[in-house]
Amino acid sequence: MTASLEVDGLTIASGGHKLIRDVFFTVRPGVPLTLLGESGSGKSLVVQAIMGTLPAELSVTGRVVLDGKDILGTDRRALWGRRIGLLPQEPWLALDPTMRADGQVAEVYRHVRGLPWSQARQSGRARLRELGLEAASRRYPFQLSGGMCQRVALAIARAAETDLLLADEPTKGLDRALRDDVANGLKAEADRGRSLITITHDVAVARVLGGKVGVMLDGAMVEYGPAGSVLDSPRHDYTRQLLMADPSAWAPRKPLAPRDTVIEARGLTKSFGGVPVIEDVDLDILAGEVVALLGPSGSGKSTLGNLLLGLLRPDRGEIRRKAGLSPLRFQKVYQDPPSAFAPHQTVRTAFADLAKRHGLDWKRFVPLFERFRLSSGLLDRRPGQLSGGELQRFALCRVLALEPAFVLADEPTSRLDPITQREVADLLHELAAEHGLGVLMVTHDHAMARNLAGRVIELRSAEPDASSPGGVTAPA
Amino acid sequence: MAISIQRQTGRLLAGRAMQAVTVAGLVGVLSFALVRMLPGDMALRIAASRYGPDLLSGTAADDVRAELGLDQPLALQLADWLGRLVRFDLGNSLVSGQPVIDELAVQLGYSLWLAGFALALSVAMAVPIGLIAGLSAGRWPDRAALTGAILLRALPAFVTGLCLIILFSVWLGWLPPAGFGTWRELTLPALTLALGLAALSSRVVRDSMVAVAASPYFAFARVKGLPERTVVMRHGLRNGAIPVVSLLGLQLIYLVEGVVVVESLFAYPGIGHALVHAIFARDVPMIQGTALVMGLVFVAVNMLVDLACAALDPRQAAR
Repeated sequence: MTASLEVDGLTIASGGHKLIRDVFFTVRPGVPLTLLGESGSGKSLVVQAIMGTLPAELSVTGRVVLDGKDILGTDRRALWGRRIGLLPQEPWLALDPTMRADGQVAEVYRHVRGLPWSQARQSGRARLRELGLEAASRRYPFQLSGGMCQRVALAIARAAETDLLLADEPTKGLDRALRDDVANGLKAEADRGRSLITITHDVAVARVLGGKVGVMLDGAMVEYGPAGSVLDSPRHDYTRQLLMADPSAWAPRKPLAPRDTVIEARGLTKSFGGVPVIEDVDLDILAGEVVALLGPSGSGKSTLGNLLLGLLRPDRGEIRRKAGLSPLRFQKVYQDPPSAFAPHQTVRTAFADLAKRHGLDWKRFVPLFERFRLSSGLLDRRPGQLSGGELQRFALCRVLALEPAFVLADEPTSRLDPITQREVADLLHELAAEHGLGVLMVTHDHAMARNLAGRVIELRSAEPDASSPGGVTAPA
Repeated sequence: MAISIQRQTGRLLAGRAMQAVTVAGLVGVLSFALVRMLPGDMALRIAASRYGPDLLSGTAADDVRAELGLDQPLALQLADWLGRLVRFDLGNSLVSGQPVIDELAVQLGYSLWLAGFALALSVAMAVPIGLIAGLSAGRWPDRAALTGAILLRALPAFVTGLCLIILFSVWLGWLPPAGFGTWRELTLPALTLALGLAALSSRVVRDSMVAVAASPYFAFARVKGLPERTVVMRHGLRNGAIPVVSLLGLQLIYLVEGVVVVESLFAYPGIGHALVHAIFARDVPMIQGTALVMGLVFVAVNMLVDLACAALDPRQAAR
């Protein structure tokens, strides 16, 4: 059996405000559909409308037709896992932390497809084996890497064998190599004759999948057509911007002029639970330069940064900071902006507290807000009411108000959509040029590292079970 | 991985065994020191308990002093007590003359009954209240449960106990205010303890429930197509139970001190009651034995809690 899905005139409104306007597309077996757009463009609402998991306070109109039957407004729970499957965002959070991988696959056979346990377990292991996860089947999610968790989720989706498969931001939080891996895995699902809808802000994923592409902006579909024509000869301005925002398309930058050393490390070594993570690393960061720290997940990038800032203590080795600088002038920008702000207080309160704590004048913040295009109306919102990009810019203001000499930016753009990502990258580069800030940027995006940084440092080691510890391989 | 988890469990058990030895040593020395710091003549108080205040005389006290070696240097007395402790000899009660270990065996059994009943009652209250509060998070049932929990936890056990006596024994006349024998006598002391326990654990059940219901793995389990019952049974209960079980270790502190107060209040012949009486009578071996057994029970139950947590949560077992 195969499934075809037709979405027509889908409109979702909250009160009088339309979040999604007249979205339309069709999906057929073997022709995957990719919805491209940045966070806040309403892509995830479309998935929720298909699944039937929209919050009750939103009103929906239009048609969602599965195999000739309009399912919008009906209770779709009986279709889940039988006709419609979902590949969740960030599978390392979506897998049950207290159940082994094989159990989470086998239960689909047992409780959805009604096989006896012995057969269910066998089939579950077979799905994991197909995806190269034989060794991982008796492990718990916390013992698996992000990429392995993603493959376990794919095994679960395969076990259900739903004809329609929705993938919601399947590459969020994964590095480039894993991203291609996931995109190819999804492509294989489509080639097996399943109907596939993928939601992503990653143009590279859309390219791998092929089929059809819909580009979403502010809840509307601004461009829709075959992947080849949309991605190679975009007609809409926004699509062009989106394509240009990919780090591989960034224009080369003017080289920076580094000065004296701000912070240096010699022979840094750190292990966790007997497993060496950082071994004998030497590092210098100069004032006015951007250094990129690359490496796969688990290679100790964040650990190295935290050692430099003194947030962790090294087992061996030493860190020397430029003399005469207060520790406050060594700052960090965090990966996940929402979790770097207290959720219950407005941004204005957060900044007022900062001013009070450090004896700063509010006037110090004003030019920073202007520089980062943060209007004063945003100050009275809580973190939950701001976008990731706005919050990350506030986070940068907060750090810059302390006039840092060195900033550790720990994947500052990985949770941001491409256009915001580019803005933040531009800002960091400008600050290094203008203020002589030394920036160590942790990232897993090679293209961005090459574009932004004067020097690239790469840490090796990948899977948690790999034995080789992180070390510097290629100072470029 | 499985092997390393077993090794971790072994390490955990070895750690707790070390802790038991340390607790025994510390409690042994502390109880010895504290009893001797109490004001008044120890021999006199013991003689008074043994022969009654009417027959009390200076000679009787001197006899007691000589008999128990209380005139010996303190260091010698301590060495003697620790030496016997190593041989598992807790000595005889100075008042009744019975071996301490025999008296404790009976009283500890009664106390464990009381504590176990209190724990069961607290679970019976905390789980439904916590679930209801969790499902209505932020609305009035949740707030009401929070207010009740703060009030009950803020009250010392003897105040709660007195309130229950006034309500159920004096006004309603349903249950006896003191005594021992049937479930009727057990109910009020157990309820007193259970209310204090449930005040805290109902909040933890509530928070845990809210966290699990909002978790991505709970949502994913539904989307997989599992029936709601299976979602809750396979993915909800175990994850939800982890913080609740972890809390039990802390709740024991409340239970141990609660047992002392509540048993005295309700004249329940358990180990807490025995401890209070032994202190009045300066029955040194009984005080030392009781404190020791309470300390060891505490370590043992904490070990059980650790094992239960490790069994529930593989992340803890691997840590």
